[in-house]
Amino acid sequence: MKSRDQEYKEIFIAEALEYFDALNRHISELEKNPEDEQLLAEIFRLLHNLKANAKAIGYTTIGDVSHKLETAFGLIRNKELSFTDEVVTVLFDGIDMLGEMISGIDGPNEVEPSPALLRNLDIIVNTLSDNTTELSKVQKYYTSKNLSLSDLIYIQIKKLDHLLNLVGELIIDRDRILSISKELDNDDLKNVSAHLYRITDELQYSVMDARLVNVGSLFNKFPRIVRDIAVTEKKEINLEISGQDIQIDRNILQIITDSLLHLMRNAISHGIEKADVRKKAKKTPHGNVTLSAQNDRDTVILRLTDDGKGIDQEEVKRAIVQRGFLTADAVKDLRETEVLSYLFEPGFSLAKEVTEVSGRGVGLDVVKNAIDSIGGRIRVDSKKGEGTTFTLFLPTSIAVKGALLCQIEENFYAIPLMHTDSVVAWPTQELHEVGDLLVADINGETITIVSMRELFNNDIREYSVKKKDLDNDVQNIIIVSYNNRKLGLIVDKLLRQQDIVIKALARPVNTIDIYAGVTLLGSGKVCLVLDVAAITRYFIARR
Amino acid sequence: MESQSVRDKKEPNVEERVHLIVFKLGSEEYGVRIDQVKEVTITPEITRMPKTPSFIKGVSNIRGDIIAIMDLEERFRIERPSGNPEQHTYTLVMEAKDYTMGFIVKEVPQSLTLPVSSIDKAPSFIQDLNINENFIEGIGKHEDRLIIVLDMYKILTSDEILQLKS
Repeated sequence: MKSRDQEYKEIFIAEALEYFDALNRHISELEKNPEDEQLLAEIFRLLHNLKANAKAIGYTTIGDVSHKLETAFGLIRNKELSFTDEVVTVLFDGIDMLGEMISGIDGPNEVEPSPALLRNLDIIVNTLSDNTTELSKVQKYYTSKNLSLSDLIYIQIKKLDHLLNLVGELIIDRDRILSISKELDNDDLKNVSAHLYRITDELQYSVMDARLVNVGSLFNKFPRIVRDIAVTEKKEINLEISGQDIQIDRNILQIITDSLLHLMRNAISHGIEKADVRKKAKKTPHGNVTLSAQNDRDTVILRLTDDGKGIDQEEVKRAIVQRGFLTADAVKDLRETEVLSYLFEPGFSLAKEVTEVSGRGVGLDVVKNAIDSIGGRIRVDSKKGEGTTFTLFLPTSIAVKGALLCQIEENFYAIPLMHTDSVVAWPTQELHEVGDLLVADINGETITIVSMRELFNNDIREYSVKKKDLDNDVQNIIIVSYNNRKLGLIVDKLLRQQDIVIKALARPVNTIDIYAGVTLLGSGKVCLVLDVAAITRYFIARR
Repeated sequence: MESQSVRDKKEPNVEERVHLIVFKLGSEEYGVRIDQVKEVTITPEITRMPKTPSFIKGVSNIRGDIIAIMDLEERFRIERPSGNPEQHTYTLVMEAKDYTMGFIVKEVPQSLTLPVSSIDKAPSFIQDLNINENFIEGIGKHEDRLIIVLDMYKILTSDEILQLKS
């Protein structure tokens, strides 16, 4: 694999060459229509971007030449410099020079800008009225212009999506072939399918890789956004960003963009206190916000931390009761993480009730839905007076997910690993009956235990399970977690862990909300993917 | 519908005919226009899908597409004649505008061509049936057989199906 630097350099060159082509096109147009302000603005923009990019990556000479040209075009735009033949020649020379320098980056020797040209540029910029200074003839030491095409291509994400879908289908068929070849026990077939396995694996990896972008492509937009929000809110914010190099699927990043923006806005406008309040609390007058990314196997973890006033648990508890989610008694028993998880409930907003005091939770359910839709998780941790952290656990790639396969009655079901917490074999006699539900005390936590059999075979409103309804002495329980809440699912049999490609269910069965999709197993068997979020919601609503 | 008009052009002098796929539900014969049928196949393994109405038998893998399978007898509450159950059932794969669905039938479906004139549109007596009137295109007569012609497209797009909820 190429180093990051090399990759950045290639991207810079490709972009710069594209700018260069566009500049050439526009300036030729401009020569014909010197009055066209739109063209001028476009040239100005291109040069400005080129300058910024070049400086950012450390090609200062390219940045300098771009800067000089930008200045010249700025003057032309302001009608302080006329677009005379002399000036045109210098500008054309300047742009040619840029082209040389850009293509020279990858060459053995760095191309130095011609001093004569630089001088000419300075002259046209500085001696506005005084035309006595002679423009010197620029020695063109580049003789022929090479036409070359860029090494990078832009591709519509739609095309990559299609490619990824096809690979997904291919993998399903591959697994099928693999299992057939095991059954048939033919050596040739085995060899071919083993080879097919490797190739499709690599193909899948390559397609996924092609879709990866740096988290930085989103993070780097935040300094400006944060500045703007801070100005509006009349607060001073110190933003720290880290982990821009972490890579993630472009579509996943796209889907969480609004969510992250939303969380950032909340953090600054509701989380961070005003400077005088902060001083009293012995905090720095400016608020500190960090945005970080890190990798954990197939998961990308994004964290947004502020050192603001934090979320008041008591406030949230009161709101839970006020909004009628739970009774005052039930609220008392909630664990801290459970209390905070109510912030993500639709319609749960502290802001409307207690704008001054707290005010988190505006549209957090929308954030949550976005993250659910890509099979991610979100959690919130907060300490009153110290700050709040939102943690987003996102899959690196959309297509393939690790899942736990289990059997319930005659069917196989998959539960995405993103939502599984642990698996236990639990003695039936250690389950407790609370109303119509079963609960168990597992590792110090009281967890609602759901019999999937009963859930499947009864109307959810009539769901009621007693211990006598369970067949065995020991129950296989998959503990799933969603939105800081845990639920234990009793399944008939635990099968194995496997990477699956989730297909969306087609109409009309796509409206059944306990299924997140469907996948085909190597055996050709259809395996439904359970939607942990929906199942959890059922039982939360019951409480 | 398109193929229908193509056929019309080919046989300008012959009376307009309808090509049907005919199958049995309960003890009656039903038919659908052949252009609404994508394929007929021996019913593949059906994976039951809990939390769907009982007339949805589950989902099946048909050539890599995973489609829902519906039992029309249950859907229309048609009584099944008692007797020996069939070895195989067949699935008619039907295509609506943006999705595909399978319908289970018991005996091998047959193909039959009828003149349009032998199909009575909207007879009044079908109100007694459990089948929503709109789903019936007409009653076809062929020799001494009576064939209830269904409009599959209407069945596929009925609100009831589109808003399928557990």
